[in-house]
Amino acid sequence: MSKAVVEVDSLVKQYGELRAVDGISFEVYEGEVFAFLGPNGAGKTTTVEILECIRPLTSGTAKIFGYEVTRNEDVKEIKRRIGALPQEFSALDKLTVKENIELIGDMYAKHLDVMEIIKLLDLEDKTNDKFENLSGGLKQRVGVAAALVSDPQLVFLDEPTTGLDPKSRREVWAVIENLKKLGKTVFLTTHYMEEAQALADRVAIINKGKIAVIGSPQELISQHGGLKVLVIRKGDKKLADLLQKKYGQVTLNSNEDILVKIDDVAEFWQVMATLTDMKVGKDIEVQTPTIEDVFLKIAGGRITEEGELKQ
Amino acid sequence: MKAFTIFKAVTKNWMRSRSGLFFSILFPVLLLVVFGAIFSGIGGSTQYSLFVQNLDLTAANGEPTDLSTAFVAALNSSETFSITEVPPDENATEYAREVLGPLGGNMRILVISKGFQDDLVNGTLKVRAGISYYTLNMSYQQIEQNLTDMEKMTFQQGLALLEQYDARLPDTKTSLTIMLDPSDQSGTVVKSIIASVANAFNYQLIGAENVIEFNEASVTTTSFSTVDYYVPGITAAFIMTNGIIALAATTTEFKRRGIIKRLSITPLTKLDWIIGNVLSQALLNLILTAIMIAVGWLLFNVRVIPDAISIALILLGSIMFSGIGMTLSGFIKDVEAASAIGNAIAFPMMFLSGTYFPLEMMPSYIQMISKVMPLTYFSEGLRYSMLYKYPEGIYFNMAIVAVLAVVFIILGSLVTRWKEK
Repeated sequence: MSKAVVEVDSLVKQYGELRAVDGISFEVYEGEVFAFLGPNGAGKTTTVEILECIRPLTSGTAKIFGYEVTRNEDVKEIKRRIGALPQEFSALDKLTVKENIELIGDMYAKHLDVMEIIKLLDLEDKTNDKFENLSGGLKQRVGVAAALVSDPQLVFLDEPTTGLDPKSRREVWAVIENLKKLGKTVFLTTHYMEEAQALADRVAIINKGKIAVIGSPQELISQHGGLKVLVIRKGDKKLADLLQKKYGQVTLNSNEDILVKIDDVAEFWQVMATLTDMKVGKDIEVQTPTIEDVFLKIAGGRITEEGELKQ
Repeated sequence: MKAFTIFKAVTKNWMRSRSGLFFSILFPVLLLVVFGAIFSGIGGSTQYSLFVQNLDLTAANGEPTDLSTAFVAALNSSETFSITEVPPDENATEYAREVLGPLGGNMRILVISKGFQDDLVNGTLKVRAGISYYTLNMSYQQIEQNLTDMEKMTFQQGLALLEQYDARLPDTKTSLTIMLDPSDQSGTVVKSIIASVANAFNYQLIGAENVIEFNEASVTTTSFSTVDYYVPGITAAFIMTNGIIALAATTTEFKRRGIIKRLSITPLTKLDWIIGNVLSQALLNLILTAIMIAVGWLLFNVRVIPDAISIALILLGSIMFSGIGMTLSGFIKDVEAASAIGNAIAFPMMFLSGTYFPLEMMPSYIQMISKVMPLTYFSEGLRYSMLYKYPEGIYFNMAIVAVLAVVFIILGSLVTRWKEK
């Protein structure tokens, strides 16, 4: 197993009566993309900012590369080794893309060639454009460039695609995939299910300050995602009743699609044989569970586009 | 080194902002040009409009009497008034309103009442008789012991005759009526100028000559103009607004948009951030001072000369006002509030610190208030160092600015949040 670059144990952050982070423990391993998935107010950003050494913790311990986030001498070392894209990244409006990346780079004893980073993020055409004139997606890319300019071993990306249009979101995903290829450890926070599933090696689902489950997307889906569903498009009640009698776990939804939950491959073939015998010539497809199903089961609700939890 | 990087970045960001450049540099220069034009007499000297209605007409031909005409001529000769004569048969107020037209303007009407000449002649004769009686009586009392009885009698007869003559003259005084709008800020000035002209006219009529001669000399070796007073004052005022309004608003905006948070994740320290911003303010303020002096030299021939002490004072002022700006932004969350609070602090300070008007002109309680305003010491210090070159004045004010600079920059550092809660 790779070595842990982030070690968090019983971390608590209390604001008066509110316990924003409630005794969470986890590790992030070198070279992986680790996603914190949860709705707004779950404690994602609070945890990340504690790890970035810009927010004090109430209790517990948090170490980055073995350095304590609460020790002043260690904080200098941590800051030297991490890169970050904060939530809703912004920069100096009147400075160009290059100047803004250079500004962050110059805060470190040494940094990568800025033009190299600009090329890596595919921002060459925008090198001399002022930050204020960039689109949301391009601004996020500048933010990622600024996070990488110090050649960090660990990169925190806090909600990197929030508020972006689908095209810009895909562009940022491509950047994150590229970071993984470069061997960087990425700590990603998001409230987008498909983002966590597409990018993360491991996902921690966090809600109300507590981590509910942690594991690879496949592990979580197989453990908590439930059964596969066979969907028969435009069925009818008679067929639904018949399948219900034979296999159970059948529902007819508002689109008149018949949903049959299947336990295994053998049951799948049994259902298919029944449909063939009955000469049912409908569109049939198999739906596999996703992280969204995992979240629905664990948190008892879905996360809206805006990041709110809807029960 | 990191402080220098911050200095470069925030300065570049400011220099590329049109609104930033306007309010930090161009606006103070425009204000200097306006004040300079008003007080240096460019475009002609100030003239106050005045309507004069002369009701003192001769019975023979209805023309104004000689003395009333002479009085109007005396007002004219002061070159202070732009006089419009109101015909005697018109309602003066309505006539003036009609002449001023829809745009309005200050309505000031002087009415010379009927009988002005007669009253003036009688009054003058009575005054002259009184003076003659008084002079003769004083002389008589001084030399009485040396006079013969005959001479004493002659004196007493003369005094009695003068007394009788004075008693026969009617005790009349002529009057002028001045009608002013109570909101007219120049009303007091206009009244006192008319009173001066009337006094001079009185003296002329009674044949008095000036006994006291009035000489004017400057207390400084160099003579300064009013614009000389304004260059350091306006410069000081805008160094203050650059710190209290502009820096407070910019820092609050950086905080709101997470720019400070982003920088705090890097190895940059809070001290570097503060030094970088103070250096940027200092450069901006030195540029502002240089441009203000250059404009003053070119347009108004001012004699302001900055020296090393002036530059040191500007640096201290930049630290002091940056400290106040940072302190404000430490407590404020949004830019609008930062601007509003900055303005609420800066503008009263600008007017109550002797920047535009000498403190002696203000009521004593305002003079007391001005003593707790940092700008008072900064603008006074700049005036002493750039104009009067009076060491005690320079060092006293500089010492206070230095102490306040240390206090506010420490306070600003303490409230600047480099870590979230």
